[in-house]
Amino acid sequence: MTTKQLVYIKGTKDGLVLRLDDQCAYSELIDELKRKVSEDGMEGQAEVQIQLGNRYCDDEQLKDILHIVQQSEHLKVSKIKSDVISVEECNRRVVESRSATYVGIVRSGQTIRADGDLVIIGDVNPNARVEAGGSIFVLGRLKGIAHAGVKGNREAVIAASWFEATHLLIADLMELMTNELAVLSETPEMECAYIHSNGHITIDRLQDLRLFRPNLSTFKGGS
Amino acid sequence: MGEAIVITSGKGGVGKTTTTANLGTALALQGKKVCLVDTDIGLRNLDVILGLENRIIYDLVDTIEGRCKIHQALVKDKRFDELLFLLPAAQTTDKTAVTPQQMKQLIGELKRDYDFVLIDCPAGIEQGYKNAVAGADKAIVVTTPEISAVRDADRIIGLLEQEEIEPPKLIINRIRPHLMNRGDTLDVNEITTHLSIDLLGIIPDDENVISSSNKGEPIVMEPSTQAALAYRNIVRRILGESVPLMTLESESKGVFAKFKSLFSK
Repeated sequence: MTTKQLVYIKGTKDGLVLRLDDQCAYSELIDELKRKVSEDGMEGQAEVQIQLGNRYCDDEQLKDILHIVQQSEHLKVSKIKSDVISVEECNRRVVESRSATYVGIVRSGQTIRADGDLVIIGDVNPNARVEAGGSIFVLGRLKGIAHAGVKGNREAVIAASWFEATHLLIADLMELMTNELAVLSETPEMECAYIHSNGHITIDRLQDLRLFRPNLSTFKGGS
Repeated sequence: MGEAIVITSGKGGVGKTTTTANLGTALALQGKKVCLVDTDIGLRNLDVILGLENRIIYDLVDTIEGRCKIHQALVKDKRFDELLFLLPAAQTTDKTAVTPQQMKQLIGELKRDYDFVLIDCPAGIEQGYKNAVAGADKAIVVTTPEISAVRDADRIIGLLEQEEIEPPKLIINRIRPHLMNRGDTLDVNEITTHLSIDLLGIIPDDENVISSSNKGEPIVMEPSTQAALAYRNIVRRILGESVPLMTLESESKGVFAKFKSLFSK
């Protein structure tokens, strides 16, 4: 029986790829990996991508693998790729990518929460709060508090037909919409807020969203 | 079987009690059998505005705790022949003396004998509010053109929408036309679009309301005043008539000036 190579190093145009076998026992793989990275014959420093294939590794195991590979002074891990995720992770992602719709007026003292994107059809009145794991879209007047990307998604945006919020929060940033703010427009129609590359919350025309958040679009096809 | 309407506002001092007294009186003037229930236990006022303070024998807490029958606690307004009654609040205890369940039962019993049961709600959103809303089928939210009152109205509408009652209707009270026309207060349109509920009526700020309340005679009994007309219009709308919204004059003109403006058109 020929012993199968458990750790396979391949050169691609993006750098080295370290492909780990996904059928053998984890302990065997670790031993093999340790041996392989300590082998001589490597020069300089190379960026390496680790591919786990169909093996599921928990955070602890990922840390071990990373640690072993980083021990070699020649290798620097750029990313770890796996073709599988746990059911739990998958459900979380599904929930976060789902958009929830609320039809009605969010009134003073009320809070509406969604894990993914949140679409409000109606007004968000002063002292009301809307929160979403993803982005918030208000088809109506946003006059209260909006918090997008509550779990830290800095790509999230807040958009409204009438943008008159008192407090804007995206991920861990907060902006008070006082009249000292230069970005406030006279007629706050069809606007959206996002985290600018300068690290501050910025308000812009809704039509320009496609320029600074092209990844928000999930639409496929069309002509 | 009558209907129970709670009159509420969230904020204090916007005219809930005055509105309750006037709507009740105006309904009685239309020949309806009306019972007013004051749920502001500990801070009762409705009896004073109706001028019935010194006729109280038993109160709401007495009935609920079984010290008297409901009809013994009801105070009859002698100005209206067997049409207008008041169930006064207790003054010596507080809002926790009653539970929403007990209120629901009490209002249910009153609805059997009356065309309308108007419930005067205390300010705030705590126990007293919960008691007042418990037995109601409909709700009227009173606000004034002040931002603070509108904010609280918004809050209370949010709470009312979670109850099993019809969507609340709005009364904008104490409108000062010259301030509104100058843009110094919110205007009727702004308030209704902001709160997005149906407008039941508007009531101009009228000094006569204060003097008549102090006399214990609700303003609707003086039909010459604008406020009286406004309350009567609201009652006609409650009874299903369609009455156009009254136009408010900037200044109350004398009879002569009114005639003059008629001819100068």
